[in-house]
Amino acid sequence: MFEGLLVAACWMGLSATVAAQNNYEIQVYGSDTVAPQSTMVELHSNFTMEGTKPLPGSVYAADRMFPTNHAEHETVEITNGINNWSEVGFYIFTAERSGQGVQWVGDHIRPRVRAPDSWHWPVGVSLSLEFGYQRRVFSTDTWTLEIRPIIDKQTGRWYLAFNPAMDRSFHGESVNQGVTFAPAAKVSYDFNRVVSGGLEYYADYGTIFNPDTLHNQQQQFFPAIDLNVSPQWEINFGVGLGPTAGTDRWIVKGILGRHFDWKRRPVAGSSDSAQ
Amino acid sequence: MTRRMNRREFVAATATIVAGAAAPGVRWSAARGHGQAAESPADVKLEIAPLKLEIGSKKVIDTVAYNGAVPGPPIRWPEGKPIAIDVTNHSKLPEIVHWHGQWIPSVEDGAMEEGSPMIAPGATQRYSFEPRPAGFRWYHTHSFAGHHLDRGLYTGQFGCFYVDPRENAGAFDQEIFLTLHDWNAYMGGGGDASMDALYDYGTINGKMLGHGDPLRVREGQRVLLHVLNASATLMHWVALAGHAMTVVAMDGNAVPRPQKMAAVRLAPAERLDLLVEMKNPGVWVLGETRKELRDAGMGIVLEYAGQTGEARWMDPPETEWDYRPFANSTAVGTEPDQVIPLLFESEFEGHGEFDYWTINGKSYPKTDTITLSEGKRYRLAMTNKSMDDHPIHLHRHTFEVTNLEGRPMSGLQKDVVVVKAGTTAAVDFMARNPGATLFHCHQQTHMDFGFMMLFRYA
Repeated sequence: MFEGLLVAACWMGLSATVAAQNNYEIQVYGSDTVAPQSTMVELHSNFTMEGTKPLPGSVYAADRMFPTNHAEHETVEITNGINNWSEVGFYIFTAERSGQGVQWVGDHIRPRVRAPDSWHWPVGVSLSLEFGYQRRVFSTDTWTLEIRPIIDKQTGRWYLAFNPAMDRSFHGESVNQGVTFAPAAKVSYDFNRVVSGGLEYYADYGTIFNPDTLHNQQQQFFPAIDLNVSPQWEINFGVGLGPTAGTDRWIVKGILGRHFDWKRRPVAGSSDSAQ
Repeated sequence: MTRRMNRREFVAATATIVAGAAAPGVRWSAARGHGQAAESPADVKLEIAPLKLEIGSKKVIDTVAYNGAVPGPPIRWPEGKPIAIDVTNHSKLPEIVHWHGQWIPSVEDGAMEEGSPMIAPGATQRYSFEPRPAGFRWYHTHSFAGHHLDRGLYTGQFGCFYVDPRENAGAFDQEIFLTLHDWNAYMGGGGDASMDALYDYGTINGKMLGHGDPLRVREGQRVLLHVLNASATLMHWVALAGHAMTVVAMDGNAVPRPQKMAAVRLAPAERLDLLVEMKNPGVWVLGETRKELRDAGMGIVLEYAGQTGEARWMDPPETEWDYRPFANSTAVGTEPDQVIPLLFESEFEGHGEFDYWTINGKSYPKTDTITLSEGKRYRLAMTNKSMDDHPIHLHRHTFEVTNLEGRPMSGLQKDVVVVKAGTTAAVDFMARNPGATLFHCHQQTHMDFGFMMLFRYA
């Protein structure tokens, strides 16, 4: 009995960290922005094969949050290009789990700017701000802000990206924690024109000046592939392993994106029509 | 692992051979038609030198140009009359000048691959030849750029060369030469495709839209526009707001069936002669039809005498470009002596790199050299299996476009033709100018990365 309570207490202790994990949009950002007069619509589909489970006799896992085990998260992301160096994205988060049906989780808005091509920087650089709300049963913090610098580089067949993101809660249990550090990174290789494969890394170290122990940090590794079948389509697929106690153990993720160009634009060397 | 030799390395190796041939005792002779600057005065002098080119307000491009201007000085010369051109290279790199579209000897043509020597920094070289055929030709650097997107055709080293016919039709009141060029190239794109050259600015006659002098015309004039696309890689669409333009010649050669167009397309190295009747007084923009490229500077103001005010732009109606309406729709009457199949493909090098290009499975300098017999008619049967369009160019010869996408045609004489992605095209030419002859895509990013081959005469 005592051991059972201890296990439950440990789960509760971890749950604050787990709650902060964003398993709704699992993506390392590239620096490029959506072109003006065009829109990118993406569907992020993430299934947690092994995650948090409900406490005995409850529908909730720790901290009165819905469990993630066998939960399907579907996120619609709509991003519109403003000009050749900025965009605004909007998210609709949903979750589905047996016995709970489809649940609206929350919405975020994400403006982003980047260093324009005309600056001719040797690496791509952009800055994303993501602000929004998520329901209490899906996150211990309901109003959050993420500041995500983005640095990337495509050289030959190799692609490297680093997102040293920082999170801040404005309402919820982490309000007093200050800023947390949640970096993400990606390295991939172009096997051919269509298939690129590599490794994506996602983490949440906790607060910047007082990080969690490794045991309680979120650490996720996603071997992932990107399929470059067409400029209109974005396809990404990966299987993630969370080796620490603070992370959902197994997650399968997929991204399907469709680019809508509202204006025909010139392609180098093409014989497009006059408009 | 085998490392590919690129065009620059091949050129450097060949330059050593040529330099050896020109060692003491083997001096190039002006009488042979080519060589070091002779003592007789030149008809034209070109000075290649670095230039800070002001294309617009506070927009200065560091480039290399001829005689301190972009475009270089226009050269107008009677057909067949010998000309001597001294070119002095004040830049830091070896240079060479190609006389595009002319039927001249290989050693004068200005392509290292054909045997024309490079001009070393500080050296002067004389080009001597008899300009022909008549029509709108041009001259430009033919040097390697590779990943240096501030060399080769990315620079301002180009100019117009008009070979005057013995009899000029003269059905116009004013001639205007217009050169399109793109500036500040950088590698961009990637993502789903390979890298390409992207640009910050575009100019017509070296100035961004709204800068420089306007073109001045009078109502009732018939103005002949000679338009050259001197971009290293980009196709351009051009329209003159408020006016239609009649295409009377392509690449300097009269078209069988002139057509009135609302907008015209020019691939890199293509030229169009456009006849415009000035019957809509006002102040207009002549420029790229695509707003983002016009905003980047590609345009020029055309002003009627006595008219003032803001220059107006009007989008032309949706226009598709096709060579066929300008040609005869019947098949060419003469069968070729030999058909030479050419297959264009690309080799993927990564989303962060330019593609490599192959002709019949091989990249230059490993492409096959095909031997021609003088006096015979050849057909280049081209299949473009790549995802890019290719403005292919044959040096020292004019060809007749005989088939596009499986449909026969005749009468259209050119020296550059676009073989669209995923299509076929055929051109015929007469082998009547012995010497090494270069064939290549005129996109600098393609020719520098393998898209070249040589013909030789038996």
